[in-house]
Amino acid sequence: MGYRRRKSRRDKLIEEQPGNEADVKEPSQPSFSQLSQNIEYLTKALKHSNDLKIRILQDGQAALLFFETLSDQEKLQANIFTPIESGNFDSISKLPNGKKTDDLEEALKVLLRGHALYIEEGNKSLVYFTVTTTYNRNVKEPDNEKVVRGSHEGFVENIMININLIRKRLEHRDLTIKYFRVGKKTNTNIAIAYMDGITNPELVKEIKKRIKSVTADTILSPGFMEEFIEDNPMSPFPQTLSTERPDRVIANVMSGKVALLAEGSPTVLILPSTFFMFYQSPDDYNSRWVSGTFIRIIRLMSFLIAIGLPAMYIAIIGFHFEVIPDDLVSPVKSAIEQIAYPPFVEAFIMVIIIELIREAGIRLPQPVGQTIGIVGGLVIGDAVIRAGLISNLMVIVVALTAIASFVVPSHELSTTLRFLTFPLIILASTLGFIGIVFGIMFILIHLVKLESFGNPYFAPVSPLRIKDLKDTFVRLPLFKLTNRPNDANPINEKSMGESREWKRSGKSKKSRQTKGTTQPK
Amino acid sequence: MENPKNQGKQKGQPNQNDAAFFNNKISRLQFFFLIVQTQIGVGVISLPYNLQQVAKQDGWISLIGASLIVQLIMFLHWLLMKNTPKQHLFMNLENILGRWIGKASTLLYSLYFIAVGALILILYTRIINLWMLINTPKWVLMAFMVAAGLYLISGTIKVLARAYTLFSGLMIILIVSLVYGIRDAHLIFIFPMGVEGLEPILKGVNEGILSLLGFAFVLIIYPLVEGTNKEKLKTIFYTQWFVLGFYLLVVFSTFTFFGAKEILLVPQPVLYMLKAYEFSVVERLDLFFISVWVVSVTTSFTTYLYMSGKGLKHMFNSKREMPFMIMMAIVAFILALTIGSGEQRIDQYGDVVMKFGYLFSGSLPVILLLVLFVRKKKHTGSGSK
Repeated sequence: MGYRRRKSRRDKLIEEQPGNEADVKEPSQPSFSQLSQNIEYLTKALKHSNDLKIRILQDGQAALLFFETLSDQEKLQANIFTPIESGNFDSISKLPNGKKTDDLEEALKVLLRGHALYIEEGNKSLVYFTVTTTYNRNVKEPDNEKVVRGSHEGFVENIMININLIRKRLEHRDLTIKYFRVGKKTNTNIAIAYMDGITNPELVKEIKKRIKSVTADTILSPGFMEEFIEDNPMSPFPQTLSTERPDRVIANVMSGKVALLAEGSPTVLILPSTFFMFYQSPDDYNSRWVSGTFIRIIRLMSFLIAIGLPAMYIAIIGFHFEVIPDDLVSPVKSAIEQIAYPPFVEAFIMVIIIELIREAGIRLPQPVGQTIGIVGGLVIGDAVIRAGLISNLMVIVVALTAIASFVVPSHELSTTLRFLTFPLIILASTLGFIGIVFGIMFILIHLVKLESFGNPYFAPVSPLRIKDLKDTFVRLPLFKLTNRPNDANPINEKSMGESREWKRSGKSKKSRQTKGTTQPK
Repeated sequence: MENPKNQGKQKGQPNQNDAAFFNNKISRLQFFFLIVQTQIGVGVISLPYNLQQVAKQDGWISLIGASLIVQLIMFLHWLLMKNTPKQHLFMNLENILGRWIGKASTLLYSLYFIAVGALILILYTRIINLWMLINTPKWVLMAFMVAAGLYLISGTIKVLARAYTLFSGLMIILIVSLVYGIRDAHLIFIFPMGVEGLEPILKGVNEGILSLLGFAFVLIIYPLVEGTNKEKLKTIFYTQWFVLGFYLLVVFSTFTFFGAKEILLVPQPVLYMLKAYEFSVVERLDLFFISVWVVSVTTSFTTYLYMSGKGLKHMFNSKREMPFMIMMAIVAFILALTIGSGEQRIDQYGDVVMKFGYLFSGSLPVILLLVLFVRKKKHTGSGSK
């Protein structure tokens, strides 16, 4: 990809329009001087919707238009009528908090945004007031990304509050927010956030290009955007990290990545993403680095267990029984002897049952969901073994696999892992170990080929970047992570200077002192 | 360093169809693993047996000799590539030998490479059928390998380099299991040294070189590697030392484990050696060894497939690469299936292909180098008049 070469440093390449160019080409309609004509145009354009309220003022000489479903009555009162009643202003059009336009098409747009529109007879300029109503929930911790230590705030459905959460944590003038409007009909407000001077300008340019080329009518959530802008939609692997945690977004933005926010969704996408980012959790950084490393290695091992364990078990039972050590042979043999089905069918049934229980547990209200988990997990599991349909070893294997797949801190990747088990099970049951080797080889080749916004997805392992391994399989102490990871090709690589000088200089001072004779006894 | 006149001459050559190829850059580490992964492959399992057959306990001396010869040849390759910057083997063939001879030899190269590819397929299926999956039809095993190779190639050469580097991590497993075998080494088995005289050792050198073939890949990817010529030469030597070290490990651990007489009874000494070990968690280490070894074989096969497809593409002066790769994959598949499973036929076929290896990997590039030097001399001679 072109922008991976860093030749155009920080030039004014991206000094383009701040977003709404798509609107430029929209039709415009100059307003009429007659009030009735104006109102007729607007009501017709809005298809005579019943929630559009028209308040006639000044004996039919003026009108106030607003959507009662979008506007806040109290704000309407406070912003427009209270100042008039106080007598300081003689006309609504002269209120200082009103904005003027003489384009009816624009007036339509602001009406749909929840503003109130004031029109006067014989006056071409239309005045509108911000009276938008919003319903927000609290910034509580997201249920799917809980942490033990650290911030318990999460994004909400309002993009302004979300940006506020970011800005509050990143008080720097380089934090840049750019708005876009996508979705021809839904007109969804989306924003990207990045650090100017750290993020590669070519990356920002590429993301803007991709966002602008979306022509769909409906964009409901970042999930929609994800499919439109990602590099390889055919891949089972998610190529953009989605998170609801402000601290995770900040950490990524500070390492030169771009965050994509959308109105109406608490999910924020991080572009570009790498495979190993899905295995990093804020908890790793909140706890001590040794325990953070330990947990992360466990998590990465869960990747191997999740995709490989059932396949391995089937291959051993079906093809390479000789791999099992002598002492284990008889217990294994007795466990699988009475089972009517081949291990492949067994595994398939069990994996499907687990998926059913999981899906049912999510959709049902929580108390019922738990019951389903117990009934499904314990009762079915036990009964299925007693009935002799499935061996107890297989239940252990599949249950372990399911648990391992839930360890990933990202829901998307966890689904991918559980999905990838199937081809490997099929390969293992046809070719044994060789099948597994080829299956894993195919997955690895795919991962190596995959790119997220022009950056290799499997970095820093392939292509190998030894420096970036500091925060991949292990997490070294924070003061050792002096360079930003190279995942997004940041133009400013250094993230800190010397922070623990006091230790070294203190030591040297001490040694010098002990050498001298001035040491008091 | 380079002759400016020479460069100017080559710039005029039509090489647009490879512009995309030259846009890729490979780091020296990736270069290292590309060569290593190509050289280490099918040979690992039967190398000690082949060496023992001709050179007895002095097989390891033969191996070192073979490596020295290969290093010399690779030095000559390097000289050729150094003097023809931004040109890979197939371009050199046309530029130096003339258009039609060049095209003909490109075709021959492609056929040779795919013949090696087919041989790799045959040897790999033979081992798998012998050790792991006795009843699985050959074509299934071959189809998997061909598919994996094609999938690897379908990206750019960069993907190939990245994947080879990633897969090289698996070699640690091979090395560790071999080192484990050294525990039971009886050094007495490699003595007495050199009692048989020089002749068997020289014969062994032949066997050794055969297991080191694959270095011709340098001729194709050399122009893509980042760094000065000197650095690249260093990397080339590092690869050879690494491969030599690995093969010596294979030979030493098996020679000292079995002894001269026994090894002649076990055509796959490495696997027999690993089979003997038992752990409390798993047994039959050989099965895991084969599983990892399959990856190394796939990379070797992929390289040959890539080189032959690339040659064919260059011959037809085409912009697209994949059709030729698929064509060559099918050729390899059919060739491997028609040779079949008769031990004698496989051995004969192997012998013929390996003999051609001397011609294509050794002699022809050296001839190219000589022609280039003679011409250069003429050129500078006439220039000074």
